[in-house]
Amino acid sequence: MLKVVVVGGGWAGCAAALSAAKAGAQVLLLERTDSLLGTGLVGGIFRNNGRYTAAEEAIAMGGGDIFVAMDANARHKGISFPGHNHASTYDVTTMEPLVKKILQNYGIEVRTNTRMVDVLKCGKKIHTLIIDGGLEIKGDVFVDATGTAGSMGNCLTYGNGCAMCVMRCPSFGPRVSVTAKAEIKELMGRKSDGSFGAMSGSCKLCKESLSIEIRDKLERDGVVVLPIPERIQKDSSLGKKACTQYAIAEYAANLVLLDTGHAKIMTPYFSLEDLRSIPGLEKARYEDPYAGSMGNSVRYLGIAPCTNSLKVEGLDNLFCCGEKSAVLVGHTEAVITGLLAGNNAVRHCLDMKYLELPTTLASGDFIVFVHEQMKVEAGLRMRYTFSGSLYFERMKALALYSTNRIEIHEKVARAGFKDIYNVCLV
Amino acid sequence: MNRNISQCIDVNSKYCPCLLAETNQCIFCSHLKGEMTCNCNWAGVCILYEKHWQYKKIQQECEDSIKTRMEEEVTFTVKEQISEHTYRMELQVSNEFAEPLMSIGSFVFLKRPNDPAFFYFPVNIMRVQDNTLELVIEAIGPKSIRILADNNEKIVVRGPYWNGVLGQPWIDNLTYGKIILVAGGIGQAPALPLAVKLMNNNNQVTAILAPGKVGKIFIEEQLRELGVEVHIVPSLRKHGMPMLEEVLHRTPDLVVSAGPDNQHYGIIRTMQAADINIPMVATNNATMCCGEGICGSCLKKVQDNKEIKLCKQQTDFLNLIED
Repeated sequence: MLKVVVVGGGWAGCAAALSAAKAGAQVLLLERTDSLLGTGLVGGIFRNNGRYTAAEEAIAMGGGDIFVAMDANARHKGISFPGHNHASTYDVTTMEPLVKKILQNYGIEVRTNTRMVDVLKCGKKIHTLIIDGGLEIKGDVFVDATGTAGSMGNCLTYGNGCAMCVMRCPSFGPRVSVTAKAEIKELMGRKSDGSFGAMSGSCKLCKESLSIEIRDKLERDGVVVLPIPERIQKDSSLGKKACTQYAIAEYAANLVLLDTGHAKIMTPYFSLEDLRSIPGLEKARYEDPYAGSMGNSVRYLGIAPCTNSLKVEGLDNLFCCGEKSAVLVGHTEAVITGLLAGNNAVRHCLDMKYLELPTTLASGDFIVFVHEQMKVEAGLRMRYTFSGSLYFERMKALALYSTNRIEIHEKVARAGFKDIYNVCLV
Repeated sequence: MNRNISQCIDVNSKYCPCLLAETNQCIFCSHLKGEMTCNCNWAGVCILYEKHWQYKKIQQECEDSIKTRMEEEVTFTVKEQISEHTYRMELQVSNEFAEPLMSIGSFVFLKRPNDPAFFYFPVNIMRVQDNTLELVIEAIGPKSIRILADNNEKIVVRGPYWNGVLGQPWIDNLTYGKIILVAGGIGQAPALPLAVKLMNNNNQVTAILAPGKVGKIFIEEQLRELGVEVHIVPSLRKHGMPMLEEVLHRTPDLVVSAGPDNQHYGIIRTMQAADINIPMVATNNATMCCGEGICGSCLKKVQDNKEIKLCKQQTDFLNLIED
C-alpha cells in the first residue's frame, strides 16, 4: 500500500491527510505539538466574502468534510462586520478533537509530539524523515505542511520577539521545514516596507475578562465594534499584518471583536494599557498570544517554490500546501491547497497526471494567480485571500465570486471536478 | 547521539552566547552565523534570544561585557612526582570556580602569573574535592615546563571548560552497561573521573591500563577501590590491543579511550577487525590555545568536509578524519 507522510498538522496538513486517505493511501500525519490545527486553534473565521465560494467549491469537489465539520461546530453563521459579509466563526475551543476524530475515522494515523528535524534524500527524492530523538520514518511521498511561522529567532529578527503564541515553539521545539531540509531554497514574504515576514493579524482576548454587556452582545451577535479613542489609534501596524483583509482603515478606528470562543480582535498587537482604556475592556487580558500586547508570530519565512499542482520544484516526491505553498492567508485557503496536495501526492505514486484546479473556479484561479504574483518582489509584499484585499476584488471582477450554492456546484460539475476528491485512485 | 554531534558544549551555560555569537560565527544559531532564518539543532534554548537579552543588559549597564571565563591566581602544591616529568598537583580555588568543574570532560587552562596569555595550556581535571582541584601535568613543553621552573608555586587558572571528552552524552546517560576503559600514560588522569561517573551509574567497568610515556600506572588503586576490573599491560600496542579484542567478545556497550589519538585509532582498528560496532568515547586531544573557538588551533576536519572547533563542539570521534 502506498504511504503518504504529511508533516504538519495545521488545517493544510489535516486537509492533505484527509484527501490522500480518500484517494486510497495509507496516511501518516506528523504534528510537532500536542494538538492538531496549528493556528487554526485560534483562528475561527470562515465563509466570509469569497471564502464562501471557495468552501462550496471544495464541498462540490468532494473535499467538504472539514467545512462540514466547521459548519457543525460554528458559533455564529452569516454575520457581518466591517469589510466582511456572511461570515461564520467556528468555536476554536472545541474544534480540534472533532477534526482529529474525522481524520482517524478515515484511518489516518495521527502522531502528535512528533517533530521532524531532518530529511534524508536519495537523488531528487525524499527517502526518510528523521524525527527529534532519532526515529526514522519512511514513505513513498511526502507533503510539507509545516507552515512558515516562527520560530523564536525568526520572530525576534523579523517581529517583536516571541509573543508566546499558540505555536508554542519553546515547549515543543521549533518548526522545521521539510523543503528547507531537502535543500530547496525557500521564498520569503515581505512586509509593505520591504522587510521580511509578516505579523499574524489578530489576537484573542479572554472573553471572561470583558464587561458583561460586551460579552452578552458578543455571544448574541457574534460581533461587537468598539470605537478606539483617537489618542490610541494607530495605523502604522496595519502594513505589517499578514491579514490584509483586515488591514483597512476601519480597523484602525474601531476595535472589532468577534466571537470565536475567545474574543478575537483584528490587530496584530495592542498595548494592554491602551486596550484597557476602552470602555468595557477595563479588565481585558490576552488569551493568544499571551504577550499580545507586545507582538505576534511572524509568518511567510519559508515558502516552498512549487507548481500549480503544488509539487515542490526540485524534488520528485514532495508536495506542499497552506502557507508553505504561497503567500496566502486563512484556514479556507489552507484547506483548499491541502486537499489538492494530498490528492496529487497519491497521483504521484500511481504515475497519474497531476491535478490542477481549473481557473474557471475561484480556487483554481487563486493558486495560479498567487503563484504568478509571487514571481516579482511587489507580489511577495501582498497577501492573498478569498476574503478581501486584492484577490477578492479579482474574484468579483472575474465573476468567480458567488454565494449561490447550486450555481457553484454546477460550475464545479461543468469543469469536470465534481466529487474528484471522493474517488479512490488506488 | 547524532543530535549532539557538532553541538556546542557551552549551550545552556552562562558562557553562552560567547564571543563567537558576537562575531557572527556562532556554532549553533543560524541567525548568529549570518543566515536569514532559523535553522538550529534545537536544544531547548534560543541563542538569538539569549544574545538579545545579553545585549540589552550590556546596554543598560547591568553587565559590563560578555561573560568570559574565570581566572584565579592560586598557590599549588606538588603532591607526588609520578615519574621524571609527570607531577600530580593540587590547587585550592574558590567554590564558584570548583563547582562547574564537577562535570565530565572538565578542564582548565594554566599559566604562570606574569607570563603572557599565550602561555596558557589545557589540563584535565582528575578530581575535584570541595574546592581542591587535583591535576596531573607532564612538564615537557615550553608552556608546561614554566609551571614548575625556578621553584614556582603560583599559577593562574582559567576555566571552566567542558569539552575534554568526545561522546560525553554516553558517559552521562549509560546505566547498567558493560564498559571497556582503555587508558594509557597521561590519559589515566581523565580516565579516573570517567570511571567514577560510570561506576556511579551502576555500570560494570573493565579497565586496560598501560604506563605509556609517563612510565607508571597511577590510578590503579583508585580504580580497584571503585570496583573496576583492572588489567595492566606493559604496552597497549603489543598487549593491550589483543586483550581488548578478547574483552570485546564479552559484548560491551561502550568503549572509552583515554589517551593519545594514536591509541583512539588503534582501538577503532581493533574494533573493526573484531567486526564490532559499538559507541566510543574518546578524550579530546585537540591542540587548544584560547579555548573559545576563536584562535583556530583546535579546528579539525570531520566527515562531509566540515570543520569543527574541538574546544567547544562535541562529535563522535569516529567522524574525525585521521591526520
